[in-house]
Amino acid sequence: MFNFAFNSLHEAIYMNGHGLYVWSVVILVFVSLLGFFIGYTIKIKKIKDKLNEPN
Amino acid sequence: MNPIRKRRVYSILFVLLFSVSGISLILYSLNSNLDYFFTPTELKDRNIPSEKRIKVGGMVLNGSVERASSTISFTITDYENSVKVVYEGIVPDLFKEDSGVVVLGILRNKTIYAEEVLAKHDENYMPPNIEMNNDN
Amino acid sequence: MIKKFIHQFASPKTYLYQVDRFYSYIFLISLITYTISITWGLLYTPEDFVQGNSYRIIYLHVPASFLSQSLYIAMAISSVTYLIWRVKLAAYLVIAIAPIGAMTTFIALISGSIWGIPTWGTWWQWDARITSTLILFIMYLGLISLHNSFSNHEKADKLLSWLVIVGAINIPIIKKSVDWWSTLHQSASITLTDKPSIDPVMLYPLIGSITGFFGLVICLVLLSSKYQIFIREKNKSWVKDYV
Repeated sequence: MFNFAFNSLHEAIYMNGHGLYVWSVVILVFVSLLGFFIGYTIKIKKIKDKLNEPN
Repeated sequence: MNPIRKRRVYSILFVLLFSVSGISLILYSLNSNLDYFFTPTELKDRNIPSEKRIKVGGMVLNGSVERASSTISFTITDYENSVKVVYEGIVPDLFKEDSGVVVLGILRNKTIYAEEVLAKHDENYMPPNIEMNNDN
Repeated sequence: MIKKFIHQFASPKTYLYQVDRFYSYIFLISLITYTISITWGLLYTPEDFVQGNSYRIIYLHVPASFLSQSLYIAMAISSVTYLIWRVKLAAYLVIAIAPIGAMTTFIALISGSIWGIPTWGTWWQWDARITSTLILFIMYLGLISLHNSFSNHEKADKLLSWLVIVGAINIPIIKKSVDWWSTLHQSASITLTDKPSIDPVMLYPLIGSITGFFGLVICLVLLSSKYQIFIREKNKSWVKDYV
């Protein structure tokens, strides 16, 4: 059940020609999640700084 | 519950009922137009005029695939009726006998001259070797 | 009683303090679950007997599709809560969820398109499942831009909530599209009623990736709602104390 499905790292990246599709989706999901997490963190920080300003 | 809130609940239910019945009527009247493809049986029952571009889907009949240079011909079946397809071009990797297929093409003399052949796979996923898998 | 309960626990202030208390735990557990499940699915499961290695996209596509619909249901529940009890937090949640819903729907559409190339032999077809998911994406974008176009927040909240409720009809349509009409998209592999039509060795990492992605998206909703609270309640004295 936990056997590595490929014989080499190169095979795992290439995936019999399907690697391009699989890994591009992985990158899409990773970038979207990371972007949203960073985006909201920055937004929250900015508004907090603004609220902290003495007025 | 106080009367104002009660009225809000009713208005939400009313809006829901309204939109559900509206959409249901639309979908009901569009019903078969929302189908992505015809099955060979529907094709036979509907009397599709010749020279019309249509999509037909079903299974590739076992033993029906014939390849000649760049042309491929096969039979789509729903196990009740079937229709012959002729196609010039490259079929998807998943195109196989006894597996799903959808073609877009023109119906002429009970044969579909396809412009596009797509593979349709089902919802079953499993490893290639089931015995090996059962040992785990 | 219900009113008292809601108003006490759904006050933005209480909510914010609870979010801060639990956020890092939820985030860590989800991140670990998601990373392990994705690695397991992508590298440690056997390939599929029909689709080969391209089937591995399932570990990214299905969680995103599942969340795109779940988030809309969450928005609809919040909308109903807001319209009946006028709970402000519920209105903030509606607009906080929308961009994240749009993001997950976008991932579902793009990953589905990419998956379609090696399997179906096409990246886009106007079948009922794909089209209704595209409608969901457009609905999310429409709701966001509508809310942005209002200067009066409360009017925007009310209109948005009504529209979310009307649009909720699309969710059962997406779900049932593969059963009601002939589609290129296959029917569901995991259902509540039947045995899954996906082998256990592939099913476990799939369930893990759905759970992990769910948790990460919850974290995004928490962040996004926190931001909304700051925007909307910036003049309240408790917010000044908080920051």
